[in-house]
Amino acid sequence: MTNGSDASSGGAGPVAADVLVVGGGMAAVMAALAARDAGASVVLVRRSPGATALSSGAIGVAPAHGATAADPFSGRPGPVDSARRIAAARPDHPYARLGVAVGRLEEALPFAAARLDLLAPYTGRSRWIATPYGSAAECALCQRTMAPGDLAVAGPVAAVGFRGHLGWDARLVAHGVARLRAAGAPPAEAVEIDAFRTEAGAVAWPHELARALEQPGAAEETGARLREALPPGTEVALFPPVLGLASQSSVCDRIAAAAGVAVAETVADVPSVPGLRLDQALRAALVAAGVRVVEGSLDEARGPSAPVIVRGLEISAAAWVLASGRFIGGGIVRRGALLEPLLNLPVEASEGGAAGFHLARRPSASLTQRERGAPQPLLAAGLRVDDRLRPVDTRGRPVHEALFAAGAVIGGHEHASDGTGLGVAMLTGYLAGRYASGR
Amino acid sequence: MDDFDVIVVGGGVNGTGTARDLAMRGLSVLLLEKADLANGASGANSGMIHGGIRYMLSDRHVTALACRDSGYIQRIAPHLLFRIPFLLPFTSRSEARTLAERAAHYATEVYVGTYDLFQPLKRGKPSARLTPEELYQLEPGLRPGLHGAVTFDEWGIDSHRLCVLNALAAREHGAKIRTWTEARELLAEGGRVTGVRWTDVLTGESGVARAPVVFNASGAWSPGFARRNGFAVRMRPGKGVHLTLDRRLSNYGVALTAVDGRQMFVMPHESESIVGTTDDDYYGDPDDLEATHDEVEYLLEGAESLVPSVRRARVTRAWWALRTTLWEFGKTEDALSREHAILDHASEGLAGLVSLVGGKLASYRSQSQEVADLVVAKLGRPTRPCRTHEEPLPGGATVPDAGALAAAHGVGAPIAARLVYRHGERAAEILRLADDDPRLRLVLCRDEGIIAAEVVFCVRHELVRRLQDLRRRCRVGVGACGGSDCARAAAQLAGRELGWDPEQTRAELADLLELGWRERRAILDGHQLAQEELLRGVHAGVGRP
Repeated sequence: MTNGSDASSGGAGPVAADVLVVGGGMAAVMAALAARDAGASVVLVRRSPGATALSSGAIGVAPAHGATAADPFSGRPGPVDSARRIAAARPDHPYARLGVAVGRLEEALPFAAARLDLLAPYTGRSRWIATPYGSAAECALCQRTMAPGDLAVAGPVAAVGFRGHLGWDARLVAHGVARLRAAGAPPAEAVEIDAFRTEAGAVAWPHELARALEQPGAAEETGARLREALPPGTEVALFPPVLGLASQSSVCDRIAAAAGVAVAETVADVPSVPGLRLDQALRAALVAAGVRVVEGSLDEARGPSAPVIVRGLEISAAAWVLASGRFIGGGIVRRGALLEPLLNLPVEASEGGAAGFHLARRPSASLTQRERGAPQPLLAAGLRVDDRLRPVDTRGRPVHEALFAAGAVIGGHEHASDGTGLGVAMLTGYLAGRYASGR
Repeated sequence: MDDFDVIVVGGGVNGTGTARDLAMRGLSVLLLEKADLANGASGANSGMIHGGIRYMLSDRHVTALACRDSGYIQRIAPHLLFRIPFLLPFTSRSEARTLAERAAHYATEVYVGTYDLFQPLKRGKPSARLTPEELYQLEPGLRPGLHGAVTFDEWGIDSHRLCVLNALAAREHGAKIRTWTEARELLAEGGRVTGVRWTDVLTGESGVARAPVVFNASGAWSPGFARRNGFAVRMRPGKGVHLTLDRRLSNYGVALTAVDGRQMFVMPHESESIVGTTDDDYYGDPDDLEATHDEVEYLLEGAESLVPSVRRARVTRAWWALRTTLWEFGKTEDALSREHAILDHASEGLAGLVSLVGGKLASYRSQSQEVADLVVAKLGRPTRPCRTHEEPLPGGATVPDAGALAAAHGVGAPIAARLVYRHGERAAEILRLADDDPRLRLVLCRDEGIIAAEVVFCVRHELVRRLQDLRRRCRVGVGACGGSDCARAAAQLAGRELGWDPEQTRAELADLLELGWRERRAILDGHQLAQEELLRGVHAGVGRP
C-alpha cells in the first residue's frame, strides 16, 4: 500500500485496509494515527479540510466546571479531572458515554502532542491563554507559539497592538488579563507599535497580517519596534495570533530575538491563523504515519460490511471510523429534520432536559433556548454512541460491531463553543482508532 | 432639559417625522424613545415606499396619499430610495387557463392599469403586460407554466435610516432627541397634560420634562402606555414576519400568492432577497415577539410556488414587527384598513395629548404634517409653515456619484455605492475620515460594504448609544454571516468613541449577538445551521469569565 495523498485515484485497483476513517479534522486524524500506531493499515477519506481548520488552534479539553475569575489557576483541577467532572455533571456528554475510558485522556493527549509537532508538550495541567476579548481560555494543549503566554506562569505581560490596525484591541486584552490577577495572572499593560500603517488598507484580515509578517525583514523590524515600546520589566509580549501562516513558521522566534523578550500568541477568534496551522500539522502527521489519504466523498456507503467507492476507487475495510464532523463538516445535517446523511444513522436531539431520537424532527426553535448563551440542544445534536464509541440504533444497540464514531458527529456537546470540542475529538478519535484496529 | 412646546413619545417614523416637522416650524421639541430609533415597525417592515396598490379598492384615499408622499420622499432623500419594479405573474391551476382564470388575469391587468393613474405622483413608470416569453427572459428562475405577467413600479427604502435621518434633521433644527429613555409616566393637572416623567434605561437617570402638548407615537407600545396612564388607544396589532435570504433570487420584485390566497412577495434587496410577509393578530407583549416555525414555513411555501430556488437559498434571518392597524371587529387581518387615525384624548381628561394609530410608512410625512398642524392649533401660536416635503433630509441635497467617490478616495466601488445609498452626500464626509486616518479603511463587512470609518461616523453623529444601534445605522451584525467579521471590530470602534471600558464593550457585544440569535432560532436549517455553528465558535470567547 502506498503512502501519502492520493487525490486522483480514478482507475486504480481496489484498496483493502484494516481501517477506513471518514473525515478530515482532528478526530479523523487522531483515529487514523492511533490505528496506524497499533499496526493497522489505514485509509482516510476526506472531502475537504475538517472544521479543525476553522478552530482557534488551541485545544480545550474540559473548561474547569464552575470556576470563577477569582479562583487561582494553580488550584484548579487538571484537564483529565475536569473531564471526569463534566462526565459526572452531563450524562449526555461524550466523556460520560465513555465511562471509565475518559481517563485515557492521559494517553491521548501526550500521543497527540508527540505527533503534531507544532503543539507544546503536554504537562498534565492546563495552560491559560488570553483571548482577544481579554478572557482566559483553558487549554490542555496549545501551540508552541502560545505557550510562553500561559497566564498561570508568565511574568509581567504586555499586550501588543499594531497602531495601523484596528481589528485587534490590545487594551481589551490587557484589561482582561489584569482582571485575572486574583487567579494568578501577571500584571498586564497594553502597548502599540507602529506597524501596518498601510495606505491602501490592504492588511485587514488575520491571514493577511500573518503573510505580511512572513515577508523578509518584517519580523525583525516588528521586534525592533517592540523593543522600543515595551514597558520596563515586561517578560512576555502577547501578540494577536498572526505570527506566521506556516506551521513551522519562525516569525515568533525572530520577533523574540529582535525584541529581547519572550513572544507569545493569544488564542484567536475563529477562523484563525493557528487553526490553519493546526490543519497543516494534521496533514503532515498523516503523511509521516503512512496513512493513505483519499480526497473525495463517499457515495452510497453501507458501512463496514460492503466496499465503498470514492472517486472510482473501491475501498474495503473491516472497520470504519466515522469522524465526519457536525454541521460544518456535514456529518450531521438538518433538512427539515436532523439526519446523518452518509449511513442514515439515527440522530439524537434533546429538548427541555429530555433526549431522544424522536426529537430530531422537532422545529429548530423548539430545540433552542431563547438566551443565546444558554446551552443550545440543537447545536449539540448528533449520534449517540455506546461506551465503545459505536453508534447505536433507536433501541440502543450498536448499529455494527465494527462501526465507530469520533469527534463532533457524536452529540451531547456543543463542540464549537462549550470548550470541549477538540478535547472530545482527540479522545474519541484516539480511542476509536484503537478500537477499530482491534486494540 | 425641562420645558418644551411638545414632547414626542416614540422614535419610529411618525415620532421622528413629527419631531422634524415641529422643529422646522420653530417649536421646541423633546423626543423620547425607550429603545433605539426605528426599533419597531418603522424599521422591520418591507422597506417599501409603495403606493399601496393593495388598498386601491378599499382605501383609495390611502393609495393616493401614499403615492403623493412617495414623490415627496424621493425629493427629500433621493439617495435612500431605489426603484423596484414588481412582476405580477399570471398563474393557472392546470396547463391551460380556464375562462375564470383568463377573466381574473384581465381584471388584474385593468386593476394595475388603474394604478397607473397614481404612478405620476411618485415618478413611477406605467405598467406593462408581459408575454410568457418576455417574463421568462426577465426572470428565468420563475417556475414554468406561467401565462405572462403585468408589471407595476414601486420604490424601496432603508426605513431604519429614514427614521434616523428624520431624527437627525429634527436635532439640527433644535429638537432634543433622547434614545434609550422611556416616558414612564404622563403628568397631568386639571384635565390637561403637563409633561412626562422619563427614565434613562441605560444610566438609570430620571427626570421630568414639561410641555403643554404630548404626542404619543409609540406604535405597538401605545395601548400599554395608554393603559398605564389612564387613557385608551385601541388597535389590532398585526404581527408581520419577513425572511432574509442570502442571495438575490430575482432581478425584480415578484408578487405572489400564499397558500391561503394572501398576497405576498419575494424582493431583491442589495445582495439579498426579502420574502414577506405574514399578518396575524397578536395579543402578547410587543417586546416579546419572535418568529415561529409555522410563519417561516408559510413564507417559504408561498415563495416557492413561483420562485422554486428559495429552497436552495440560505435563510439568514426571520424578523418581525407589529402593524398598528386600527381596531375593528369582524374583519380578517388583511381586510383591516391601512388608514391612520389621530386620537385626541381631551375627553379622557388629558387635553393636550394626541395619539397616532395606523398609517403607512409611505405616508409618514403627511401623517406627521397632520399631527404637527394639530399640535400647532393646540398651542395656538403662529409658526412657520410646514416644509418637510421640500427641505432635504441630512445628506439628501444631492446624490454623489459613487464611482467618482471610490476613485477619489481609493476605496472599492461597492463600498462607495453602499455609503452613498446609506448616507447620500455625507458619504464624502465619511471617506474624508478614512483619508485622515487610513486605518479607518478597514473593511468590516465585504458583503454589506461597511468600513470602519462609517462606524465611527455613525457613532459620532447619528445618536448611537449602544452597539446594537449600529444594526439600524449601517447594518452591523445583520448580514448573511450574522456578524462573524464585523461585530467585535465594531464593538471596539464604538467602545473607543463612547469611552466604554472592556467590560461594557463585551456586554454590548453580547447584546448585539443576542438580537441576531433571536432572529435565527426559527430558521436554523441546512447551511444556515453550519453558519450558526461557525458563528458560535467565533464568539465563544464573549461569554467566558
